[in-house]
Amino acid sequence: MIKNYLKTAFRGLWKNKGFTAINVLGLALGLATCLLIVFYVFDELSYDRYNVKADRIFRVNNDIKFGGNQNSYAVTPAPAAVALKADFPEIEQVVRFRRRGGNQVKKGNQNIQENLMIYADPSLFSVFTFPMIKGDPATALKDPHTVVITESTAKKYFNNIDVVGKVMTFNDTAFYKVTGVIKDIPKQSHFNFDFFMSMSTIGESTQEAWFNNNYTTYILLRPDADYKKLQAKFPEFMHKHAGPQLQSVLHLTFDKFEQSGNYFKLSLFPVTKIHLESNSVAELDANGNIQTVYIFSVIAVLILLIACVNFMNLSTARSSNRAKEVGVRKVLGSARKNLIAQFLIESVIVTLVGAIIAVFVAWALLPVFNDLSGKELIITPQIIFRLLPVLSIFVIVIGCLAGSYPALYLSSFQPIEVLKGKLAAGFKGGLLRNVLVVGQFIISIGLIIGTLVIYNQLKFIQKKDLGYNREHVLIVWDTWTLGNKAKTFKQEVKQLAGVQNVTMSGFLPTSGYSNSTSLFKSPVLDQKQGVLSEVWNVDADYVSTLGIKIIAGRNFSDKMGTDSTALLVNESAAKLLAFKDPLNKNMYIPQDNMAKVMKPFHIVGVMKDFNFKSLRENVTPLIFFYSEDKGALSIRTKSADLKVFVDQVKNKWGELSPNQRFNYSFMDKDFDKLYNSEQRTGKVAVSFTSLAIIIACLGLFGLAAYAAEQRTKEIGIRKVLGANVATIVRMLSKDFIVLVLIAIVIAVPIAWWAMHKWLIGFAYHQDVQWWIIVAAGLGAILIAFIAISFQSIKAALSNPVNSLKSE
Amino acid sequence: MIKITDLEKFYRTEEVETIALNKLTIDVKKGEFVAIMGPSGCGKSTLLNILGMLDDPDGGSYVFNGVEVAHFNERKRADLRKHNIGFVFQSFNLIDELTVFENVELPLIYTGVPSSERVKRVEEVLDKMQIMHRRNHYPQQLSGGQQQRVAIARAVVNKPKLILADEPTGNLDSSNGNDVMELLTDLNEHGTTIIMVTHSEHDARYSHRIIRLLDGQTVMENIMI
Repeated sequence: MIKNYLKTAFRGLWKNKGFTAINVLGLALGLATCLLIVFYVFDELSYDRYNVKADRIFRVNNDIKFGGNQNSYAVTPAPAAVALKADFPEIEQVVRFRRRGGNQVKKGNQNIQENLMIYADPSLFSVFTFPMIKGDPATALKDPHTVVITESTAKKYFNNIDVVGKVMTFNDTAFYKVTGVIKDIPKQSHFNFDFFMSMSTIGESTQEAWFNNNYTTYILLRPDADYKKLQAKFPEFMHKHAGPQLQSVLHLTFDKFEQSGNYFKLSLFPVTKIHLESNSVAELDANGNIQTVYIFSVIAVLILLIACVNFMNLSTARSSNRAKEVGVRKVLGSARKNLIAQFLIESVIVTLVGAIIAVFVAWALLPVFNDLSGKELIITPQIIFRLLPVLSIFVIVIGCLAGSYPALYLSSFQPIEVLKGKLAAGFKGGLLRNVLVVGQFIISIGLIIGTLVIYNQLKFIQKKDLGYNREHVLIVWDTWTLGNKAKTFKQEVKQLAGVQNVTMSGFLPTSGYSNSTSLFKSPVLDQKQGVLSEVWNVDADYVSTLGIKIIAGRNFSDKMGTDSTALLVNESAAKLLAFKDPLNKNMYIPQDNMAKVMKPFHIVGVMKDFNFKSLRENVTPLIFFYSEDKGALSIRTKSADLKVFVDQVKNKWGELSPNQRFNYSFMDKDFDKLYNSEQRTGKVAVSFTSLAIIIACLGLFGLAAYAAEQRTKEIGIRKVLGANVATIVRMLSKDFIVLVLIAIVIAVPIAWWAMHKWLIGFAYHQDVQWWIIVAAGLGAILIAFIAISFQSIKAALSNPVNSLKSE
Repeated sequence: MIKITDLEKFYRTEEVETIALNKLTIDVKKGEFVAIMGPSGCGKSTLLNILGMLDDPDGGSYVFNGVEVAHFNERKRADLRKHNIGFVFQSFNLIDELTVFENVELPLIYTGVPSSERVKRVEEVLDKMQIMHRRNHYPQQLSGGQQQRVAIARAVVNKPKLILADEPTGNLDSSNGNDVMELLTDLNEHGTTIIMVTHSEHDARYSHRIIRLLDGQTVMENIMI
């Protein structure tokens, strides 16, 4: 019996090649997209799972509210780790990371800039799973000035991995002995480093400073411990450890501190959730976004739905062709369940073929998808093999889902009626089919609107006046490697033709460097007078180079001797400080952990707020110190030929420092990078939307073909009676266009609502624009019309004699 | 073998109720060859559908082989049908996607005949119908006469007790038509009961008895000699 079904199915599919192609192609495209998204989602969900003890590893987060500012930090005070382990038996192990930027690493005569470097406690290897190929994980990183490197780093510097005992030179001044080589850290990790230096190298790591937050701390729980219960004990822990220091600094008990609305609390964050759900200050690496995962998953399901709907629609539209077969089979004694089984088998076959093609399509599209999504996914036969059971279930479920309606519909035919040809009008009156087409177009139009809104928002961000000018600014990084010659470099660059202004500071609106400090309005520490603000060290040229506006007072000046203690505040800071006139008011900063010395500063000017963080966030208080920071040199140029200009700057660099690498970027490009994740989501969304529309149009194209076929006789008669081509095209298109119009009416409010919610995530956004709605609607109508008219015109142009003869 | 008594069937549309069969009573004995004639719309096809258990009557009794079947449900009817009745249609109704052999094999599949037995029986009947040489062709590749032979082969392959033929020669030229009638006669002579609806007086002459219907009632019965 099965053999008979298969035979009929294959021959039937072969006979209707066009129909089959549309069905298989639509399903294949839908499944391929789905497959890619499934890979993407699995990849995102697999972060940090490479750790054998992943379920027991937690990062200690730190939520601080102080001085009108509140934030969640991914870093803790240095002594927290040791104290945690000592106080709580449920903690098996702790490990800390301390980030201190990159170093120049010597290879032969050449210095190579390395940024993936971190200081780590020796307990690193008992918490995280980093298989050590060479060296002893128990002793590596115990001694100061030791380093554990990854396999590929070993190969990069030594051409082999047998390098334990060798010495590496950092910045020409520091020497580290290699004590271990580990396997490269998997890509699916929320941090990625090539060098782990021993924490004992830095003396600061053992200081009892409870109010400096610089250490990323991870704990490994014992198997039977409950992290929520442990977390509940943290407030008491903070009272015990941070309390005494708070008392001596702010002359305040922890209780008082909290009563005034401030807090300083530790919490635990599961390591496996960091990548998708954590967005704290001082993350070790840019994290993913659970929202993107949700968006993509929803898109995948929607595309698959569109493809399934195509299948249902085309199968039922074709029902008149199948009716006779159903009738005959019923007359010959087939029960309805046999027919249902037959049609389901048929649709499972189509799905199976679609799935096989989909695997190849996904494989072929993978480089493009990786490029779009910024992933490095691979499809190997092993992966496919492992996916096989899931894929098979998928095929059966999708096949049955797509085939269910046609199967029930077709098997319900009454044999006498179909054999008498009473069911020839299989096309009209397909209410469900119309509903399905409308559904497809709701999805397509929704996706079009979503995509346009994302693009519009990205454009809005790019065009928004940020309060500073990022165009024509060349940034030379790591100028600190020039040491004393950094100033000379600045002077010499200033002399170059086309240079308008030059400023030296690593703190840039696009660099992501962050540094916050508490400032006080009075020399006697009073927490009510405290303000927690972002503070940047800049020179006198900073404001003019970046085109920041001063709205009160003046800029720093090297001619004013007193400016070494001058401050520039932005409007937000001025507002938070709540001085009537902030100019010439004093601010005090504690000079040590115990706040025994308070250094006075005075405000000389107020800057207009500028967006120094992502536009997702509002402008927060920012204070400039007139102080040296050699992190980077920003050059405003009017030079037309930037390539030549970069070469000129590079030559100057080479003259001063032939061994150091010349690192540069352009500020506008750096700015765009801040929105990489949105750009990516946008690009992926555009691709998926296009696919969804293509699949929906494939279906529409097929439906139109059947509609035209069904009405061949009608078209013939109309033509004989004098109808022209335009009339007939209009007649055939009208039914479909009405469906698209209904879809627009339903899709617009839903899409508007969803995108409105997405936009609210941006502090600065432009709400859904009317032109987007119009463009999406008109676009959908136009695309649908093109898909239909191809068939309608063909039908309208056919010779009526032929169509009438066929009756 | 068949005994219908006061059989009724109505067709309703929103406004009109049409009486297709009006208290019809007919008796067909085992081994008979009966032709049913009458003008269009007299209820011939309705009667055939009810006799073939493709449709149920609205009233009256239908006794098939001594069993009252008028109110059988669909499953029971399908079961009875596939074991006892073969159909021959005017428009052949072969499945386009199946070859001659496979079309004829189909009823055997539905009655659960094992594969080797099926091959034997299909070959036997194809041979008898003289279309063995066409066994691997598809219906579209055959002439109308050949298609009807295949349809008859399919109708008889299960050795049904009754064959219902709905204008079996309607789509054929006279020569092919005669061949088909010869085949039916031959089947009848070997014991199969045949009920045939036809417009053709010529074809009707092959039967033992003609029942003429008008407006759902018997108007005349001719016994042929």
